[in-house]
Amino acid sequence: MTSDANPAGRSGAVRTMHLKENLAGLALVAAPLGLLLVLILLPTVSMVWNTFQVPVEGGTVTGIARYQAFFADSYSVANLRYTLIWTLISCVTALAISLGISLYLRFSEGRIATMIHALSLFPLFVPAIIISYALVRFLGPNGLLQLLLEQVGITGYRTPYLTPIGPFIGFVWENIPLPVLVITAGLSQVSDHAIEAARDLGAGAWRILFEILLPQVHRSLLIAFALIFLGVIGAYTVPYLLGPPAPEMMGVFMQRTLGNLQRPDEAQVQAVILMVLSSIVGGFYIATMLRGEVGRK
Amino acid sequence: MLNRRNFIISTAAMPLVLGTRAYAQDTRTLQVFIDGDTNISNWWNDIIKPAFEAANPGYTFNVTITRGVGDGNGTIAQRALAAMQSGTDPQVDYFEEYNPEDLEGSIEAGLWTAVSTDNVPNLSMINPAAIDIPVRLPYRGSQVLIAYDSAKVETAPRTFADIVAWAKANPGRFTYGRPDKGGSGSNFVIRAIHEGNGRDPSLFTRENFAQPQADEMLQKGWDILLDLHPYTFGEGTYPAGNTPALQLLAQGAVDMIPAWSDQAIQAINQGVLPETTKLVQLQDLALCGGFAYSSIPSNATDLDGALKLANFMLTPEMQTSCVREIGGFPGIDWSYLPAELKDEYIDVIPVSIPTFPSGDWQTAKNDGWYRVVATNIVRD
Repeated sequence: MTSDANPAGRSGAVRTMHLKENLAGLALVAAPLGLLLVLILLPTVSMVWNTFQVPVEGGTVTGIARYQAFFADSYSVANLRYTLIWTLISCVTALAISLGISLYLRFSEGRIATMIHALSLFPLFVPAIIISYALVRFLGPNGLLQLLLEQVGITGYRTPYLTPIGPFIGFVWENIPLPVLVITAGLSQVSDHAIEAARDLGAGAWRILFEILLPQVHRSLLIAFALIFLGVIGAYTVPYLLGPPAPEMMGVFMQRTLGNLQRPDEAQVQAVILMVLSSIVGGFYIATMLRGEVGRK
Repeated sequence: MLNRRNFIISTAAMPLVLGTRAYAQDTRTLQVFIDGDTNISNWWNDIIKPAFEAANPGYTFNVTITRGVGDGNGTIAQRALAAMQSGTDPQVDYFEEYNPEDLEGSIEAGLWTAVSTDNVPNLSMINPAAIDIPVRLPYRGSQVLIAYDSAKVETAPRTFADIVAWAKANPGRFTYGRPDKGGSGSNFVIRAIHEGNGRDPSLFTRENFAQPQADEMLQKGWDILLDLHPYTFGEGTYPAGNTPALQLLAQGAVDMIPAWSDQAIQAINQGVLPETTKLVQLQDLALCGGFAYSSIPSNATDLDGALKLANFMLTPEMQTSCVREIGGFPGIDWSYLPAELKDEYIDVIPVSIPTFPSGDWQTAKNDGWYRVVATNIVRD
């Protein structure tokens, strides 16, 4: 769309037209871009700036004392570590399950496959609060699962409700649909010919998976990973209702610091730390997307 | 399209419309704002409204529910303050529950009507424990009680020590909610702090919070709760709120919890909790509770009507309804209520209603609990 693309010597009228198109395009995105600037970017920048303002007698100085305070507090660090560990565990598990479902869908046809596809997308339409309460009823003490197990003679069930496993199950359940959508789309681009050729040459199922399929969908996997990670790391409802009181996921901790303890300054520091972690993964996501764009051109 | 014929008709109809307006003014409609739970707004719409209309001919009220919208009644209070400053109609006569202290500067600005026996005669019957600043009207209360399944718990606990003893004898069968997620857990934690400090709530005031002594006083409560910690449900997996705690009791996962009186009574009536569920108040020192305060803006569109409504809410009939319908605690003294009501609720009537200050003490209590009691880290 740049004017360089025009062969030299073209009339000025064409160039003006392009300029007009560009302006029209910019005008179209101006409103959302402006909103983004005013409502998201500006407050974020001012909040980040604020976390580096340390109150001293008679004013403030710029410094990292607030971050030092966060990392010096073993309780806060335990919360951060807990959040990261369980986010990663949940991501990997959800990704593995989604990959399994996607592979099945790639190679299967018919009514059952369609049903499984529909079923795997179902969590997309269930709000977190509903699934949380449903899981309490299902996995909770004297819940459906325990009753079923006892029917077949298995006793000694210990509920995952209010332990780290509770939110983990919730996260995995919630984070199946989007990765399935992304990975199935990726897998559908792998040509049948490539797989058949490999098969003809005697490649086994694992070899096809690792040498033909995965290399071609690694981009989809990265995108899916980023989507799950960003959703889980800042989660609130699921860990709040299903998780243990302490350690807390950062989303819950942040809300409590702001809402209950009314310490907005500390909550801001927590938010910035979470934002930095998210933006690392977000950066991966954008880099992957951009590489794809360039590759396609 | 407006042609001549329609124009004539509409102008001709105008006096009619105006006439209806004038007529409508004979029945005065008060604007009541509620941001409490459904049990409160249903009670106002289904029971109070017809009773108020019958007792005060020519008056009715319209309930607007602000629950979960913006800051609830706080937003409406801000609007009323803005209306006062600009001399316009605040479009509100009565806040079912709003604490004027929450809107900074509004009391000084004169936004709230001071109530006394002069303008609300029934205030003479008020429970002395509820008397507070004059710009808010204590008209109902809730208290935290101990709810237990009488099929599993043989003798009802009457003291805090009874609860601890029972919990230790029945590991995993008692729990309480996280203190920042709901009043039932919060007031149980406060009760433990009171227990550790000679059961003297007067040691805690809004003004006396000072760091080293406060930590020491709170630690006495933490010691008691830490002692209880391994015997609670899931060895210290406290449910995240009033409802999750009730849910554990309903599922038979635990046999004893602290619970709000109104929520527990409704749950029993609705069959959510088993019929064998009983409620009891501790007699050595009650668990804290609190009054719900109504407030009336001084620029209310119909101030007289709002005061009439306030007075009506303090009649023994409405106060009885508060106990019966929503499991609340009366704002007026029990001695003005029917004797049989008192007999029926004798187990839950506290000797006194202890309170715990808001502000720094609450914050220190909640954060301290997370850092000291809830963590499963072994401390030496």
